[in-house]
Amino acid sequence: MFNFPKNLYTDVRLENVFTSEITYENGELRQNLKRNLKGGFIRIFDGQRWYYSSTTDVDNIQEEINKLALMAKENENIMDDPVVKNFQVNKGEFLHFNENDILKISQEEKLDLLKSYFPIIENKKEIKIWRAIYVDRKTTKEFYSSKGADLKFDYQTCALAFRYSLNIEGKTLNNGYDKTFTDFNELKSLHKGLKKNLVRDIEFTKSAKPITPGKYTVILSPVATGVFTHESFGHKSEADFMIGDETMMKEWAIGKKVGADNLSIVDRGDVFGSGFVPFDDEGTKSNKTYLIKDGILTGRLHSCVTAESLEENPTGNARAINFEFEPIVRMTTTYIEAGDKTKEELISGVKEGILVEEISHGSGMSTFTIAPSISYMIRDGKVAEPVNISVISGNVMETLYEIDGISKEIELLSFSLGGCGKLEQYPLPVGMGGPYIRVNNITVQ
Amino acid sequence: MVKEKYIKRFKEISVNIVQTEIQSVRRKDITKTGLRIYENGYIGVAGAVGKIDETELEKRAVENLNLKIPYPYEPSSNHIEEVDYSKEIFSDEAFVNEVEELLNILKVEFKDFIFSNHISIRETETKLINNIGLNLTHRDKMMETQLIIKEKSSVNVFDSMALSIDRQYNRESLLNNIRESLIAYRNKVKLPVEGKQPVVFMAVDMLPLRKILEELDGYKVGTGASLFKDFIGKKKFNEGFTLYQSSQKEDLTESEFFDAEGVINKDYKYTLIEKGKILAPYTDKKTASQFNLPLTGSASAEYDKVPSLSARNFKVASSNKTLKELLNGQLGVAVFVASGGDFTAEGVFGTPVQLAFLTDGEKLIGRLPELTISGELYSMFGDDFIGRSEDKAFLGENAVAFNLNVNYI
Repeated sequence: MFNFPKNLYTDVRLENVFTSEITYENGELRQNLKRNLKGGFIRIFDGQRWYYSSTTDVDNIQEEINKLALMAKENENIMDDPVVKNFQVNKGEFLHFNENDILKISQEEKLDLLKSYFPIIENKKEIKIWRAIYVDRKTTKEFYSSKGADLKFDYQTCALAFRYSLNIEGKTLNNGYDKTFTDFNELKSLHKGLKKNLVRDIEFTKSAKPITPGKYTVILSPVATGVFTHESFGHKSEADFMIGDETMMKEWAIGKKVGADNLSIVDRGDVFGSGFVPFDDEGTKSNKTYLIKDGILTGRLHSCVTAESLEENPTGNARAINFEFEPIVRMTTTYIEAGDKTKEELISGVKEGILVEEISHGSGMSTFTIAPSISYMIRDGKVAEPVNISVISGNVMETLYEIDGISKEIELLSFSLGGCGKLEQYPLPVGMGGPYIRVNNITVQ
Repeated sequence: MVKEKYIKRFKEISVNIVQTEIQSVRRKDITKTGLRIYENGYIGVAGAVGKIDETELEKRAVENLNLKIPYPYEPSSNHIEEVDYSKEIFSDEAFVNEVEELLNILKVEFKDFIFSNHISIRETETKLINNIGLNLTHRDKMMETQLIIKEKSSVNVFDSMALSIDRQYNRESLLNNIRESLIAYRNKVKLPVEGKQPVVFMAVDMLPLRKILEELDGYKVGTGASLFKDFIGKKKFNEGFTLYQSSQKEDLTESEFFDAEGVINKDYKYTLIEKGKILAPYTDKKTASQFNLPLTGSASAEYDKVPSLSARNFKVASSNKTLKELLNGQLGVAVFVASGGDFTAEGVFGTPVQLAFLTDGEKLIGRLPELTISGELYSMFGDDFIGRSEDKAFLGENAVAFNLNVNYI
């Protein structure tokens, strides 16, 4: 398809992205967007440095390749370079969404679906602002390399999101209800869920009191567990942070005990949803990678560059947020595997603690943080009064040992608004979730 | 029918750094064009990237008009203004060479640290042009340094950062900031006291302002969802606290002197809180019109979307005192990395601080252990508000100081 320059490694990623987005604000139409973006990202490697170019001029990719090649130095042995050897040569069409293609749904049908939820949310005196959002995205990627890769694959998501601001006699709450699927039909039966959330949030706003700061045993819901897993441990499993760093390699040696015996964390790109990545952005097929298995550090996430550097195997985790960026090591769908307790059993074992049901955001470095939006006290093994908490936090490596209970129930979640941020690349769609987990000694403010 | 084009061009050369070595060089040149049609109180928008067929774009915008998105406001008109802040910084080749030389210095001076991430030169041009006499152009060029720094013996993903964004490049100034922070980093110190004490943020850090900006949203105020709904025109904060939207040259880094609806404020600024009194929430044309509020020029938009209200370009007014004068003989906790904190709905603030230094107001003295800080909205910007420094005493940045509760994590 392209004339790749001699004595250099070259790959080309072409993206064709269709997006639609409909937003109503307090019942008034604010956005009705249909967008189609085409762009390309070219990488050239001469064994020493990488040269990248991002372009929207997809008809002149060859010209861009030729220009970029002028910056690189020819290397007769480039195909023997260990990084280049790591690149897989996958070929074929892997189109998963022909039958339920979101592009076959008319904008009118999407509008009607969104409007069907309005009676639940409009005319409630406690709700001062509400937004109803429909968003979908269908991406088809092509990937070609000078090693012979020739791939075409697709993925799609569609979502409904509701955001609302409550003000009840001066007490306020900003919260929402989001669901993301890969099939449009799954968005048609969320009415009960939205209603239940609204009733809960109105009651919460009326009754919630500030928390007394301190250390508590905390039970995290699947969404909170997902953010905790992603922020606290997932990012530390991204191998680009370890290249050439002896301290990190020693600290993160495979086989090291890093958490409680019942703790297993996995990243996999084959789960349909916002973390579905059949091939990554350098053509590597998706994998299921255990990061922790039974408390033992078992693996990490790689691109071909980091895999070569650490003498491990690529895992299909080289991802870019779009055609404007190069792939870097990122998560796909990351979660803690199910345990052996019910949610009720986890709660019943807590004398005084906190149940975190919903969150606003989270972060993770050596200390992880989660900002809960809906939380309740647990007293004598029972869920008690609602509490307002600004942030919960803990040391990541200590906290992995503080998990003393994991539920049998597991929920994997997708998201369409926002995503994962790493350095300059935000937002990247990822999947997360997991079970309810019980964690001791968490700092609560 | 009013026809309006919103064009955003972004050019960049970015050098990516791994282990204090250049790993890659990336070039970008991307143009995104939006075409808006205003007719009979409705707006239609269509967009494209790269080369555009304007006839096709207009056809799609007219189709979008049929979807009846209300926009019963006058598009901006009869104003021609071009601002060009862009100046040559480096040629592409010279830039890559300079980054290489900078890294060589860092490798020698800081053998115990690893530098990663990127340094880039970003060039932007934004145009808003319509057929009723509006023709606005903003050009800018910035050198952005975003280095993450890791101590070789540390098990953290990163330990510190070197961040700067400026229209000019001064190697010594950048190096001096890195020197000051890393020399202080090596010197572990303890808090002078636990409990309430001066806490210093970089003025560009929006974390302490997050709740104020959330509640000053004109739509929230107008609909009654804001904590400030009954406080417009009332003095709720410290006499020394003034907050305005600024599109003045020194305050702009990644946006334009006009907003996405072509609104330009007088002297490129609009005061929202003056001497503790809330004057107005920030608004776009829709919010100002719907709730009879002053228009503050706070609309943002992606190239192909309908403009909407968003918080943009806020600045706390200077106290006309240096940071040392503001601290008044006390030492301050200078917050450098505080990730994950927030305010509760009622305004209680709490955040972990992953990296903080002790400062005397002129220089960083040493690195503090991980901390938690906490406060409350009306106290932080009331009795506990200390002020914004007139000098750039926090690693080349202005600082904003508060008295907050500080404890070890």
